[in-house]
Amino acid sequence: MLPPFDYHRPASLAEALFLLASLPGTKKILAGGTDLVPALRRGDLSPDHVVSLSQLAGMREIKEDKGFIRIGALVTFSRLAEFPLFLKGPYKLLAEAALQVGGPQVRNQGTIGGNIVNASPAGDLLPPLTALEARVRVCRQGGERVLPLAGFLTGPGRTCIHPEEILAEVDFPALPERAAGSFVKLGRRNSLAISRISLAAIVIRGEGGIVEEARLALGAVAPVPIRARKAEALLRGRKPSPALLEEAVAAISETVADSLGDRPSAPYKRAAVRGVAREALIKADPRFASGGC
Amino acid sequence: MTGQADGKMPAVSSVIGRSCPRVDGADKVTGSALFAADRRMEGMLYARVLRSTVPHAVLRRIDAEAARAVPGVAAVYTAADIPGENRVGIIVKDEPVLVDDRIRRVGDPLALVVAGNEQALAAAMSEIEVFYEELPAVFSPEEAMAGGAPAIHGQGNIQSVTRIVRGDVDSALKEARAVISRRYTTQMVEHAYLEPEAGLAAVVDGLVTIWVSTQNPHYDRREVARVLGIGQNRVRVVQSPTGGGFGGKLDISVQCLLGLAAWKTGRPVRMVYSREESMAASPKRHPCVIDYTSACDGDGRLLAVKVKIVGDTGAYASYGPATLKRAAVHATGPYEVPNVFIESYCVYTNNPTAGAMRGFGVPQVAFAHESQMDLLAGALGLDPFTIRLRNCFRPGGVTATGQRLLHSVGIKETIDRARAKAEELGMLEGKR
Amino acid sequence: MKPFRFRATVNGRPVDLPVDPRRRLLDVLREDLGLTGTKEGCGEGECGACTVLLDGRPVNACLVLAPEAAGCDITTIEGVAVEGRLHPIQEAFLEAGAVQCGYCTPGMILAAKALLDKDPRPTDQAIKTAVSGNLCRCTGYVKIVKAVRLAAARLAREEGAV
Repeated sequence: MLPPFDYHRPASLAEALFLLASLPGTKKILAGGTDLVPALRRGDLSPDHVVSLSQLAGMREIKEDKGFIRIGALVTFSRLAEFPLFLKGPYKLLAEAALQVGGPQVRNQGTIGGNIVNASPAGDLLPPLTALEARVRVCRQGGERVLPLAGFLTGPGRTCIHPEEILAEVDFPALPERAAGSFVKLGRRNSLAISRISLAAIVIRGEGGIVEEARLALGAVAPVPIRARKAEALLRGRKPSPALLEEAVAAISETVADSLGDRPSAPYKRAAVRGVAREALIKADPRFASGGC
Repeated sequence: MTGQADGKMPAVSSVIGRSCPRVDGADKVTGSALFAADRRMEGMLYARVLRSTVPHAVLRRIDAEAARAVPGVAAVYTAADIPGENRVGIIVKDEPVLVDDRIRRVGDPLALVVAGNEQALAAAMSEIEVFYEELPAVFSPEEAMAGGAPAIHGQGNIQSVTRIVRGDVDSALKEARAVISRRYTTQMVEHAYLEPEAGLAAVVDGLVTIWVSTQNPHYDRREVARVLGIGQNRVRVVQSPTGGGFGGKLDISVQCLLGLAAWKTGRPVRMVYSREESMAASPKRHPCVIDYTSACDGDGRLLAVKVKIVGDTGAYASYGPATLKRAAVHATGPYEVPNVFIESYCVYTNNPTAGAMRGFGVPQVAFAHESQMDLLAGALGLDPFTIRLRNCFRPGGVTATGQRLLHSVGIKETIDRARAKAEELGMLEGKR
Repeated sequence: MKPFRFRATVNGRPVDLPVDPRRRLLDVLREDLGLTGTKEGCGEGECGACTVLLDGRPVNACLVLAPEAAGCDITTIEGVAVEGRLHPIQEAFLEAGAVQCGYCTPGMILAAKALLDKDPRPTDQAIKTAVSGNLCRCTGYVKIVKAVRLAAARLAREEGAV
């Protein structure tokens, strides 16, 4: 038995937003429950009301729409990992990251919306979504706002969402066919592990085999995911090769060092990120390993 | 191999050398096996224990009046309610069932709440007031052994010492060609058996009957009888299917608390630890600090070994004295050493209690003696297999404690086969 | 708190009972329905001992508030054997020595069942991934993987025989 709260099960998003706007006291939204239920059990959270989104089927959809990919906030990690669009090509990093979350049971329950709103520095979907330059659509009664994920996440476990708001959808601009993505995570074991470091990489090929654009997002090295801008700039306009890989790896390690300063984990992560970065870049573009075109 | 046809053993065994189905297998794959937490009885009460949040303190008073007044609460017991002896322990009776004088670790049991439902239990737990006076605490054996350290059990904190002396280590060290000295530290380990501690107790036909997740039902029975001040003939302990133990369920967990609650209320009582409580309350593997010196001649033959092992047994002895004795006995590993000086200390601190865990002190020293062998081999330019084969026990050999090994000794064969397998798998390529 | 009317299918049978919505699916299964084969090991979704199938997918029953499972088809370990006959996965666990203390076993078997129901010929890697949310402290997993492999082979043969 969990500590006392009132349970609500709205039938529509409008009803859910109405409840959040009108209920007195503290409220928590229940999506997959993989973070909320244990927090309730431990007594870390003791809201007056729990509002379940379980009946909001519309928030379980994934759509391609006018140059955007739109993912409902209730889409589970398993669904992301199985969705055909994410199985190959540029969006593969999303499926790869989803498969790194918890174990199968947690992936079957946990949602993309929960992963974003709980904003763990080690949240596995956050680096890929950062690299995809995702936006979030946040609804409240009588309105909504769309803002970039990077601005939505404000710190470890913190976002700028208001208690009466619901994160309804995540979207990001479609990538061209010539883009490729990858996600590599370093954990203490292969499953049920919290990220020590992760890197999401997107490499867009341009004319003549050069890197037209590289987007590199690091997880678990700062309160929120950060872009490795130095390495991104260094890669732009150049042809992937093992030599270029090492330059990029060094730049990424510098970004990690700058971010962590003298934190106890810094010496370890500075070194370990090199392996993660090599693997992620080679997966995104094999020419980093072999050269050639 | 089949047995001898002399009437003592059947010529063909029905079990030896064959795969047999587990007797409890079918129940376990269908979910019908009743683990302790799965049991329930008519009129059953639920119990939970309030635990200390400080590591070292004098307990002044427990005020449970408000908790007793919570609707649904059957009783709240403290040390004063224990009819028999309020001390348990497999080797040393030093651990209270409910603290009466002094708190010695975070997680010490203070008061037992018994209620008709889980909500009343939770409500009552938060109504209990504990008054105590904190004392300085020690969290490492080094501090605990130092002069002037707070005495956790009234006298010095060294619970026991084991010494093994053979030959003359100091002279041997002088003759040695290579001497390696290192300090090894090993960490505390939680068993994390998948089933948290649980039990159900009821008075059945005048017998206090306890179904419990345990590795030690006979010991449990004796302790429950002592704590209740009744004869062992009035206590029955039934080992439930036990969801892992690994040594961690050799000590008393819920047994005496449940016995007390069932005996006093006359009702069946169930108690199940959460994972958090299991981790906080159960014994751990002893963290050890091992100072190890080994010496050998130019051929890599061990001449002497000098070892000091300090094990942190935490607030209570549990299996600590035996674990540290075993660590000492095995400190030379599977190697014959003519000159030996080994000391091991079992030391009280205000840390979680350490007790039995798989290997019982041996994994800690194995880490040390095997690291030493590799270092010696490196110092002499020897292959790590060679130095081990030169020193390993053989039939007729004598251990550090003077035991002559008259029968089979498998270490040489084990090393030979491990090496052959490693070669077969290409694991030695690029290595000397 | 007003009780929630919990209607679902559990092991093929309809269930309709009032539950306090603050209880977990795990509590309703174990306490109200007496299905104690579903175990609690950690209470926070780390160990998988409470694994049940929700519409065929494995979930941790300790992370599911009971009303969230309303309307679902729920399978617990008690629903795996049919009319007293062990399921091939259960037989394989026994034969391969994949059962020791038995506390992880119900969850393991359900995780394996979810896998084989959708992927009858899994690779070893797929088997390892399928049970990666289930901790076992006794076996070292080798015999569990072997048991799932054995069960897959048996099921394929049964399929072939029909």
